[in-house]
Amino acid sequence: MLFFKRGRVPGARSWELKTGLGKGYTKVLEQLDESLKDLDLEVKKVEPQTLSDYKPGPDDGEEESRYFVRLKGTLAPKEARLCGWRIDNLAALAAALALVVSKQGRSERKELETVIGNKAGRWRALTLMDTFLRSGYLEEDEEGLVKLGWRTRAELDLPSLMMLLAESKAPSAESSEPVEEDQASIEG
Amino acid sequence: MTEKARRSSGRRELEELIQTCISIENRRFNPFLLDITEALRIIRRHSNQLRTLDDHLLDMRAITSVARVVGLQSANLRFQSSALFVDPSMVQQKLGSLSREQLAEFLLLSWHPIVELEQLTLSSTKEAKEFWEGMLSFFERRKRLHLGPFVSPDSADFGELARMRVVEEKAYTRKMQDLWKELKESAEKDGRVDYWNFVRGSDFAETIARAQLVSFLVTYGYANLQRKGNSLLLVPKARPDPHTEGSPLSFPIPITKEVLIRAK
Repeated sequence: MLFFKRGRVPGARSWELKTGLGKGYTKVLEQLDESLKDLDLEVKKVEPQTLSDYKPGPDDGEEESRYFVRLKGTLAPKEARLCGWRIDNLAALAAALALVVSKQGRSERKELETVIGNKAGRWRALTLMDTFLRSGYLEEDEEGLVKLGWRTRAELDLPSLMMLLAESKAPSAESSEPVEEDQASIEG
Repeated sequence: MTEKARRSSGRRELEELIQTCISIENRRFNPFLLDITEALRIIRRHSNQLRTLDDHLLDMRAITSVARVVGLQSANLRFQSSALFVDPSMVQQKLGSLSREQLAEFLLLSWHPIVELEQLTLSSTKEAKEFWEGMLSFFERRKRLHLGPFVSPDSADFGELARMRVVEEKAYTRKMQDLWKELKESAEKDGRVDYWNFVRGSDFAETIARAQLVSFLVTYGYANLQRKGNSLLLVPKARPDPHTEGSPLSFPIPITKEVLIRAK
């Protein structure tokens, strides 16, 4: 149930697991988590709204948690490339997430496109934004503001990302120059 | 001030308050920009002038807008006290100064991708089967598009496909070899030939194709490109001699119709 993708989003909701495994499903998940350690995997529980924002309405807190299986460790750049990720796409995602987090979980799409554009080129910024929205790293709300998506809540350790960013030091001026248009690709 | 003027000014104040609240909700301003005590004072001041349903609705919208901003202020305080709080301007400054490699590395150090597998299930297979069975025939669907009478598929031979430019008549290497031969023949007298005279074809498309092939001839060491004053000369080599040492020089040659006319 956790591994196989049913529909658009992978993982399983808590009620699905409860139906399939019974009331003690959390114990089963703990055991599974223990067994997955050897494979450098873990079970991750994602609350409906990790980055809480004020949201009036009767639906508050009624959504169910979702469980995923994710990599326990992290990927090396080479491994990420093997998974089909380009360096500039990763950089663009990091920039977009950092900006949204710094703005308390919501930011204007145009602002994000500008920030991504400085790292990946203006035209790629548009397609990358669509990709991030489609894959669930970002979500667009009814007011047109971009917020963190379900995949970010499941896959990213945001405090660690923000900490790394806050502690970072800029490299030499040569490599930090913004890219011109579509010259951002590191590899084909 | 008459009561009508007072009511009109009150409505304007409430509308302005609502607009400010909306801007804050859209993250244009800091939620603490709004003085809640002052906002409530404005709402209270106009509460005794509410006459019509519209007045009451406006008053209600103002109250809910202020309540939302209070909620945002609360969320802002909670966020600032969390580990995720970083000043947005500082983040933008950092993002601007960091290289793509550094940013990618930070993401990779905080990233634990989900493991997901896609598969066929009994229900999805059933759904696909039902869709297939319920689908109208090709001819039925075609009728809806009003495409006119149906033309049966026909066969095409290699020559026809080549004319349609679906397939190439000759392999690229073969084309290069032929052009190299042609270049050697053209340069038999002087050992070199004018670039523009050589690449010019019967039409613009052919010229572009020949220029592209020539660029490969030069790159792969089948010929040399020399510049003398304003003219470009091609010097064929008896044997291909690829440049193995040093970095090759890139020499762009713009092909415009004016250049071709001049070369005639």
